[in-house]
Amino acid sequence: MFKLFKSKFFWLLLLVIVISLVVMNATATQRNNITFLEKVIRDTYVPLQGGASSLRNNWDGWTAVFSDKRHMHQQIKLLEAQNSQLALENQSLQEYKLESIRLRRMLNFDNANRENYDLLPAHLIARSPNNWYECITIDRGSRQGVEKGMPVISPNGLVGRVGSVSENSAQVSLITDREMAVGAIIQKTRETNGIVEGLGDSNQLRMINIPYYSKIKKDDRIISSGLSAIYPPGINIGTVTEVSPEPNGLLLVAMIKPAVDFNKLEEVFVITGYHPVEGFEVEEE
Amino acid sequence: MRILVLILLPWLAIFLQSTIFSFYSIKGTTPDLLLVFVTFFALFNTAKKGSGYAFFCGLLEDLYMGRFIGLNALSKGLTAYIVGRVQGNVFKENIFVGVLGVLVATALNSLFLFLISIMVFDVFHIDTGMLHHILYQAIYNTIVAIPLYIWYYNSSNSGVLRTPGRV
Repeated sequence: MFKLFKSKFFWLLLLVIVISLVVMNATATQRNNITFLEKVIRDTYVPLQGGASSLRNNWDGWTAVFSDKRHMHQQIKLLEAQNSQLALENQSLQEYKLESIRLRRMLNFDNANRENYDLLPAHLIARSPNNWYECITIDRGSRQGVEKGMPVISPNGLVGRVGSVSENSAQVSLITDREMAVGAIIQKTRETNGIVEGLGDSNQLRMINIPYYSKIKKDDRIISSGLSAIYPPGINIGTVTEVSPEPNGLLLVAMIKPAVDFNKLEEVFVITGYHPVEGFEVEEE
Repeated sequence: MRILVLILLPWLAIFLQSTIFSFYSIKGTTPDLLLVFVTFFALFNTAKKGSGYAFFCGLLEDLYMGRFIGLNALSKGLTAYIVGRVQGNVFKENIFVGVLGVLVATALNSLFLFLISIMVFDVFHIDTGMLHHILYQAIYNTIVAIPLYIWYYNSSNSGVLRTPGRV
């Protein structure tokens, strides 16, 4: 035992463990900025990751060169791009439609619609190198105006938020990450304020804090409530697949299928700003 | 040259894990190439050297991720230390030693990750999804370990990873 205490390696190991635990604790909470060393390490990967991502995206196109399907492939790409655009517009219009109905019923209209986003398109260049974190790396960083905390969406719905930024890249924590939580409501009824949290699984989310009397049911669409300062309201999160009571019986828990297919994600939009729509007037019926 | 390769290996592993392997993950699981290299290094060196190299590799991964810095460094360092402690008693010419070493190292590394996380942050909740990830990763790591062990064994005996002055 005393021989162990005389060992330099033992004391070095102990020192390293203590320092690691301290640093771990310090970096566990949200930091405003990552260190210079972290920025440098990340930025050394960006050109190669961008290249690998482009290679992957163009792989189908290259193989199509040698087949008659090339024209068809281009058409599909064009239609997919149009479809994405329309899906994004549709998402907004759905919200406008429901909002319009509600506003017509109200005497005092409070302009709370904040769907006028400033969008910065970005490409996904890398994913998390390990299985414990659900995050992606995009090819836009502080140089392009990306800041920590900005929400990230795709034409299909909410992707996550910017976790940290380097000069030319940003790491986006996906809503499926275990540490992510988003305030959410049921789009149709607007009656339940719950919290959607990640489970570390790209195919599933969980909505908690749902009152037992909620009318939430399978196939209900869940959107962001806008109660948190980070996410604007009305962004599609997913669809309810299952509702069950929590063990205490006072609350319900719902499993949500994310609107975004995170395994096929290639292009995202960073919301660099959102403001209330001005001049939006509702005509009298 | 050996030092350069040993520095480049973890850098390359993170690049491959974050791109090719993550784009083509199996049931959302990617292999931990860093852990594979760290295990091999510990098998062919001493426990002290192995844990030092593993700590460096884990730290690089932590700095890249920018979260919980030291978590992977510590878990990989401790894993490599245990692997390095038994390396003197195994027959390294047998490929199954490398493969089995990676399998055991995956289990140990996951265990250390859990223990440190629960001890320090209480953030990781063990659920079936996580256990599936560990199981798939153990299988994935073991499969990629086969060709990599052959390369590593040859390199450390007569190639670029050969220790200078070794007969």
